[in-house]
Amino acid sequence: MAALEAGRLLMEAGASARSVDEIVARVARGLGAERVDLRVGYASLAITVGIGLDGITRMRKVNHIGVNQSLDQELRHLAERLAPAAMTPAGLRAELDRLVTTTPRHSGIVMAVAVGLACAAFGRLLGVDWMGTGPVFGAAMIGQYLRRELATRHFNVFLNATLVSFVSSVIGGLGARYAASQTVATAMIASILLLVPGVPALNAQNDILEGRPTLGSARAVWVVVILIFVTAGLWLGQVVIAEGR
Amino acid sequence: MDFAKIIHQTLCGAIAAAGFGVLFNIRFRALPWCAASGALALLVRTICLNYNWSLEAASFAAALSVGFAVHVLQLKADISQNALDVTGCIPMVPGSFAAKAILGLFALTVPNPTGAGETLITAVEYTLRVAFTIGAIGTGLAIPSLLLRVKVAKEG
Repeated sequence: MAALEAGRLLMEAGASARSVDEIVARVARGLGAERVDLRVGYASLAITVGIGLDGITRMRKVNHIGVNQSLDQELRHLAERLAPAAMTPAGLRAELDRLVTTTPRHSGIVMAVAVGLACAAFGRLLGVDWMGTGPVFGAAMIGQYLRRELATRHFNVFLNATLVSFVSSVIGGLGARYAASQTVATAMIASILLLVPGVPALNAQNDILEGRPTLGSARAVWVVVILIFVTAGLWLGQVVIAEGR
Repeated sequence: MDFAKIIHQTLCGAIAAAGFGVLFNIRFRALPWCAASGALALLVRTICLNYNWSLEAASFAAALSVGFAVHVLQLKADISQNALDVTGCIPMVPGSFAAKAILGLFALTVPNPTGAGETLITAVEYTLRVAFTIGAIGTGLAIPSLLLRVKVAKEG
């Protein structure tokens, strides 16, 4: 179960199925397993470990899948440090708990500013003029701050996407219009690009290419549904400020 | 070739990749690698688009370049190769096309839509471009990893 816990943390940190498979196998061998078979599902993990003629199968639920590369990296380092049969399950659990609590996260403000800059750059790539770039920065920054605040209150992830998309697109659109931008409609789209699930979309493709079509399809469906909710927020924003329709 | 545009797109790719690196909780010391990865992706894509390649083909070439660069250089930065691959290619994910495609489909659901045929064709065109571009990026990133893994397995 301790090896499965490592797998769950990896899944929730946004790792690809291949990474989860490799790292969990390594961790299980570090606990003394001789054979390891892992099934990586979208909402659960199942593992069968064997020692000699004996084997045992266990399953673990996976919660909401996000992206946390620092935790992902720490778990990789932990797996690399483990020699076969070098750690006890209790020791591994303690180490996993320590990693979860001590791995640093960027502050909400830093994330908001970084996302604002990223969306402003996206806006320029999409052809937003310089007058519209500042409003995109501000709208995406506010959107990211709101998204994080709602997420910490366990607000539904799909409704969160719609609400943030609506708020960001309205702020971006009104700001760009006030700044006399000629690309208001594109500025509204650029303001919501923080919500596009790029990592799950690429992981979905990767999982299918590596022989896990079920998991890849589940990720792809989630990507499509979140895009629909994001676009619904943008559509509402366009209706409210009568722009781009 | 419009060098000012190439520099502009490259810089924007670097900023977008680094910004999303922060969102993905990549540590500050690894962010320059993310920026370099995003810059390389947009540099290659812009040059290819300049030679009238399609967006899908240009995105494939850019993702392939990023994938090979990350794997061949065997970076010593404290960041996984997978994370660096993905962060570099995030600026090429066609989120804007996806939103336009779904907005087009929404527009078809109103009572008596005007120009429904044209709207549908545009929505389908955007949908296909999203699917093919994401497919191109994912395949471009996967090829170096799959090829180099085969090579390592043969050597082993």
